[in-house]
Amino acid sequence: MTTPENTPETIQPMMATRNLSKRYEDGVLALDSLDLSVNPGQIYAMLGGNGAGKTTTINLFLNFIDPTEGEAIVDGIITHQEPLKAKAKIAYVSENVMLYPNFTALQNLDYFSHLGGKTSYSAEDYQKVLLRVGLQEEAHDKKLRSYSKGMRQKCGIAIAILKDAPAILLDEPTSGLDPKAGMEFINLLQDLRDEGKAILMSTHDIFRAKQVADIVGIMNAGKLVAEKQREELVGEDLEKLYVEYMTGYMDTAVQATDASVTVG
Amino acid sequence: MLKTLIYKELKMIIASPKFTATFGTCAVLILLSIFIGIQEYRGAVRQYETAVQLNDQEMAESTSWGSFDTRVFRQPDPMQIFVSGIHYDVGRMTGISRWEEIKLRRSNYSDDPIFAVFRFIDFTFIVQIALSLLAILFTYDAINGEREQGTLKLTFANPVPKVTYILSKFIGAWLGLVIPLLIPILIGLLLVMLYNLPLTGVHWAKIITMLGFSLLFFTFFIAFGLMVSALTRSSSSSFLILLVAWVTLVLIIPRAGVMLAGQVQSVPTVAEIESKHAKFSQERWDQHSALISERYEKRNAAMEGLSPEDREAYEEEKMWSWMEEDDAEMKNVQADISEYGRKLQEDLRNRRAAQEKLAFLLSRVSPASAYQLAMMNLAATDINLKNRYEDAMRDYRTAFNGFVNKKLEDSGQHGGFRISISSETGVNIDTGDIDTKSLDLSEVPRFEDPRHSYSAAITPAMTDLALLIFFTLIAFAGAFSGFIRYDVR
Ligand SMILES: Nc1ncnc2c1ncn2[C@@H]1O[C@H](COP(=O)(O)OP(=O)(O)OP(=O)(O)O)[C@@H](O)[C@H]1O
Ligand SMILES: [Mg+2]
Repeated sequence: MTTPENTPETIQPMMATRNLSKRYEDGVLALDSLDLSVNPGQIYAMLGGNGAGKTTTINLFLNFIDPTEGEAIVDGIITHQEPLKAKAKIAYVSENVMLYPNFTALQNLDYFSHLGGKTSYSAEDYQKVLLRVGLQEEAHDKKLRSYSKGMRQKCGIAIAILKDAPAILLDEPTSGLDPKAGMEFINLLQDLRDEGKAILMSTHDIFRAKQVADIVGIMNAGKLVAEKQREELVGEDLEKLYVEYMTGYMDTAVQATDASVTVG
Repeated sequence: MLKTLIYKELKMIIASPKFTATFGTCAVLILLSIFIGIQEYRGAVRQYETAVQLNDQEMAESTSWGSFDTRVFRQPDPMQIFVSGIHYDVGRMTGISRWEEIKLRRSNYSDDPIFAVFRFIDFTFIVQIALSLLAILFTYDAINGEREQGTLKLTFANPVPKVTYILSKFIGAWLGLVIPLLIPILIGLLLVMLYNLPLTGVHWAKIITMLGFSLLFFTFFIAFGLMVSALTRSSSSSFLILLVAWVTLVLIIPRAGVMLAGQVQSVPTVAEIESKHAKFSQERWDQHSALISERYEKRNAAMEGLSPEDREAYEEEKMWSWMEEDDAEMKNVQADISEYGRKLQEDLRNRRAAQEKLAFLLSRVSPASAYQLAMMNLAATDINLKNRYEDAMRDYRTAFNGFVNKKLEDSGQHGGFRISISSETGVNIDTGDIDTKSLDLSEVPRFEDPRHSYSAAITPAMTDLALLIFFTLIAFAGAFSGFIRYDVR
């Protein structure tokens, strides 16, 4: 496993944002000059309250929306300039995975794998991955309309794995997963990291973030107010830190300046 | 990529529960309309043949060229199975004689009420009403439904070009709906062949062209549904918009165009024309009788003071010239009246033509009207059906009367009859018949139904073809540009 600290110059980040800003049509500044980067083999966890801008960041990577300023970059590709090329390198799991209710899990997997450019999978391949994400075999041939939210989430994760993309975007991927499935998912993430994937995930689960992330970024009102490497978090109470940053940022300007120093 | 997307569309359409229901309904409707159309056509042919036979028999029984007349009938055309058009509203026979004008009478062959019920559910009606609804039903949520469902986001997290996606939606819906619909259509055509209807090569060429027009019309509604779906965020709003648009395009505009044209360009009714004509003739006859009485006064004045003997001699001498004079005047009046009637008719025809033109122009704003007009032209059940027949019948009348007159001359007979009264023989009505043997009918000209060639069918339909293509392309362009800007979240 390579960490950016060892060879900071030679490794090109798989995902990065440069001065990324987004102001929605109604005037809300959802993202304010965001700079972050995720290297291959790294897990970056974005924390932050509701409306902090996490989903906006992910949507910008996928070019669902265009940036007002700056850019999101995947493997050197500026996403809003060459969205198709960039999307070929991203696997994505949304916070509420929605699939075709009239298709079975296998049919959904097959369809989305084809869209992702993977055309040579067999039914066994799909089944293997479904088992890996914790979906029991008897569910594989059931229509998605009968799935629970957690089961759909697992399906979405399976689709992301099957795409085998170097960059993975996860928007609150564990929402709806039961504790056992959540734990299995953490193991899965670690496996993917060990395969060299760059993973950017948003989450509200501070405990898991601390457990699995190489970098934790804390966002507030569209700004990255803190960024901690794994080493810096050892022995730290991330929850306390999070609350501190969230409230501190809002309360006093002094602490906000501290925060931006940390970021820089 | 395109293949994957299209394949998925097909699967979604065919696996959807609404497919079975709607497709079943449409298939049954198509087959039923063709089947009933065939039955009705065959019934019409039987009636036509009986009527022609009866007429032939009556002709064979007549013994005098002087009172010889006939009737001609409009032959049923198998195309009416697919497009009844104005077929049922045009009379089916006219008398042909020297004293009768051409006038198509008795507008329906069939007295069977079941046909009256199903009359207007012909193939064109089904395409126009049912299939356009079907197209809308399967496209109204093509784009925004996927957004609501959340699948659009996951799809576009992959390297899928938007143009490819909307194209796949279109091709998928087209294949998914057209191919199943072709099955009942082909079965229907097979049925037509099994019944061995007299379909010529021209008929088949027209049928294939009609099928092409139907597909084009259907394609418009698919593109239209996609367009509205790609321009709205929620499927409930696109459904509502499409329903209103459908009612407007299919139900309102075709009728409103005709009604509006009726307001703008008025056409006198037959009653109005007739009362105008009657008034003119009344005036003309009044004028005439005034003239005649004036004349008699003059004539009497000229005889003033003559002795009764001289008076008789004078009258005897003038009798013939007076009679000729009066006769000429009467003929004058008759000529004036019929000339006035002709003018009225011509004016009526011109105004009707102008109204029709305006009505069609207005209603062609809707592809449904363009489609129907094209189909009627192709099937020869269009608005000119009556004129075509009346012209052909008029030509036939000229030939028929020419033939009869020649026969009369040859045989030394005269037309009409002569009543002579003598004290020896009493009243004698002479119809001019010398012998009462039956006539030689082998040379009597036969009526031939007016031909309607393929080019006569397709030429007026070209405007509608161009319009339908234009409407479809506009809908396409709208769907494309709407979707390129579509927010997939
Ligand atoms: N389509 C939109 N139009 C206008 N404003 C939007 C839109 N989407 C998001 N926003 C605003 O942008 C800000 C950031 O929203 P975003 O969804 O990125 O937050 P988030 O960090 O993902 O929150 P959560 O934890 O609740 O998912 C919010 O203030 C939100 O109201
Ligand atoms: Mg979010």
